[in-house]
Amino acid sequence: MLALKIAWRNIFRHRGKSLVIGSILALGALLLTLGNSVISGMEKGLEKSVVESFTGDIILVSQDQIDDNVILDMAGKPLEDIFRYDTIKPYLENSGLFTGFVPAGKDFVMALNEHGGTPGFAFLLGINFADWQKVFPDNLELLQGQWPQSTGLIIPSGSLEILYTTMGTWFSPPHSELDSSFMPKDAKENYGNLRVQNDIVFMGHSATNTATDIRMTVDAVVKYKALNVIWGHFILTDINSYRQSMGYFNQDEEQEEISAENLALLSFDSDNLDALFGNDMDFEEMFSQESVSPEKEEFVPKTEEAGVYQMIFTRIKPEINRQAAMDSLNRLFAQEDIPLRPLTWQTASGVIGSMSILIKASLNVFVAFLFFVAIIIIVNTLSMAALERTSEIGMMRAVGARKGFIARMFMLETGVLAFVFGNLGVLLGFIVVLVIRSLNITTDNDMLQLFFGGDTFNPTFGLADLLLTYAQLAAVTILAALYPINIARKITPLDAISRE
Amino acid sequence: MNIVAIEALTKDYSLDSTTVHALRGVDLNIKSGELLSVMGPSGSGKTTLLNIIGCVDTPTSGKVEVAGTDIGSLKDKELTDLRLRKIGFIFQTFNLIPVLNTLENVEFPLLLMKEQSATDIRRKAKDLLHAVGLGDHLHHRPAELSGGQRQRVAIARALVTEPALVLADEPTANLDSATGASILDLMVQMNQSLGTTFLFSTHDPDVQKYAQRIVKIHDGLIQDD
Ligand SMILES: Nc1ncnc2c1ncn2[C@@H]1O[C@H](COP(=O)(O)OP(=O)(O)O)[C@@H](O)[C@H]1O
Ligand SMILES: [Mg+2]
Repeated sequence: MLALKIAWRNIFRHRGKSLVIGSILALGALLLTLGNSVISGMEKGLEKSVVESFTGDIILVSQDQIDDNVILDMAGKPLEDIFRYDTIKPYLENSGLFTGFVPAGKDFVMALNEHGGTPGFAFLLGINFADWQKVFPDNLELLQGQWPQSTGLIIPSGSLEILYTTMGTWFSPPHSELDSSFMPKDAKENYGNLRVQNDIVFMGHSATNTATDIRMTVDAVVKYKALNVIWGHFILTDINSYRQSMGYFNQDEEQEEISAENLALLSFDSDNLDALFGNDMDFEEMFSQESVSPEKEEFVPKTEEAGVYQMIFTRIKPEINRQAAMDSLNRLFAQEDIPLRPLTWQTASGVIGSMSILIKASLNVFVAFLFFVAIIIIVNTLSMAALERTSEIGMMRAVGARKGFIARMFMLETGVLAFVFGNLGVLLGFIVVLVIRSLNITTDNDMLQLFFGGDTFNPTFGLADLLLTYAQLAAVTILAALYPINIARKITPLDAISRE
Repeated sequence: MNIVAIEALTKDYSLDSTTVHALRGVDLNIKSGELLSVMGPSGSGKTTLLNIIGCVDTPTSGKVEVAGTDIGSLKDKELTDLRLRKIGFIFQTFNLIPVLNTLENVEFPLLLMKEQSATDIRRKAKDLLHAVGLGDHLHHRPAELSGGQRQRVAIARALVTEPALVLADEPTANLDSATGASILDLMVQMNQSLGTTFLFSTHDPDVQKYAQRIVKIHDGLIQDD
């Protein structure tokens, strides 16, 4: 093809310009490859460290639950209750959608400060340990203490740090040596004089608007293997202790079992409580905003699973598309009149969802900026090239070459450069990605963890990313060539002749 | 038969606020097979006249027919095709595509036409290059040729499409007199052997001995035919 032949030879004839454009394209392709790999690695990583660690694929909440942000919302109302899980469970089992699911109670609790300082706050997740571990196997690492059996308290290091910062108390399992390796800096510095406690008093809001509380011994300190900075906010306890602390009934009990100690604490009236907390916050109001469902007070469950929960974590079978699962669940709940609502993990984990969107957006802004700079430089260089070749182009036009031929020639020249140097850049980018992966870069920083999509920086570059990068490169090339090509098209034979 | 028929042709250029009347009413007919020279001093309008005949510039007024087509109403694409098929150009300088060799430069217009097979095109280009005396420079790039050799390539390229008319605006202006003479000789020879119509301009009175017919132009008007 004539235009290709001329374009190809012009690349070598104008080596300098070709190299400038080629280098920009190669650099652009390299950075695009990296950017796309980081974005894609982040997405895959987040999914792994969010879905497999904590949220599951789809979270089921009560039909009455209005706010979707059910996992990390600190300020919102308590979650609506799910009743009679025991009657719902068979439907979920028969749906054929899940590899596993586990119900949980989840609420915001206050940790009373028995030393008269500020109280601490945490999320309390009430679960059946064994069932939960089946759905989220191997997501915890034991740092200190012992795994509890059916009842007990598991505190992640992240929560220890938060509680220490607000309360000034370090919680530690009994009969085990203090371990400073997961302590925050000032706790480490204060190691000898740390105020250490083996048990912790939680106060939840109760169904009857009376604060109830429960004293629990710390069994284990753990670390979430992925995104500990986020999931570390969730203290784990067995569902019965959870219900007790929240003032729900457990099975086989007419009355909450309240220990002598707890009774002592309960006897504070509200003025004394304020004095105890040592500040002006109105905790009673804060903890009494919940709407009280009448059933809740009256209902005394016969089995553990008949009691109250707030959410059900589910893992979808890998071969089933998440959206399809959402649709089936919506249909199932409507058909069988089950008062549940499914939420995708992205919707349910609002903060993470929006943070990852934010990070992704900044990466995309970076990519767009790259686009912009690359296009400007290429437009400039190509326009100069077109003008420099005015005589040559005008002569071709005089001899009978149409505008389209000139345009094709330029497009091919840019296209060949983009193909060769673009692939070079992609290849280099891919090598950089492989190097980064082999370095196994890890971080404890929470922002970086979101950026990494987990603890480890694992950019990935698959076929989809390759195609995306090619599409972006093609867009850069076409956009950058449009203006110079138009300049070249407009060159007339007269422009060439008048130069003589 | 008239290859070129011009009636009352004028061409004005507006430069800033003043208007330059480059052609001020030219009538001219050129017959098929003629070898015609437009002669006049610098600035007399030779280039303007040849540009309009060559369909690279448009008249201000008047009627211009080239190879039977009135060019006044043609669009860019039609003008381009007319140039490709009916007109051969020989410029003073910058005649050739730098990245193509001699043979490829001559083949260029035929390749644009896409009407003949590659082997036919090659054979035709080679024959013409032999005829203009460049049979052993087929694979040289323009930069490797002398000025006279380049003009010979330009002549071969202008002739390869078998055009109705070959236009040459002062083709020897950048050549020494001996080389210039040989180029003009070649044009005469081609005019005689192929019967192609040639129109060249010159400001050099010595050149007139090569032409069959001389048209003298002065201040945009034809003085003497
Ligand atoms: N593009 C142009 N713009 C303005 N004036 C022009 C242009 N081309 C030619 N002229 C003027 O037209 C007149 C004829 O020019 P030209 O045809 O180039 O003469 P010649 O080729 O005989 O030297 C001159 O006065 C010249 O200055
Ligand atoms: Mg001139």
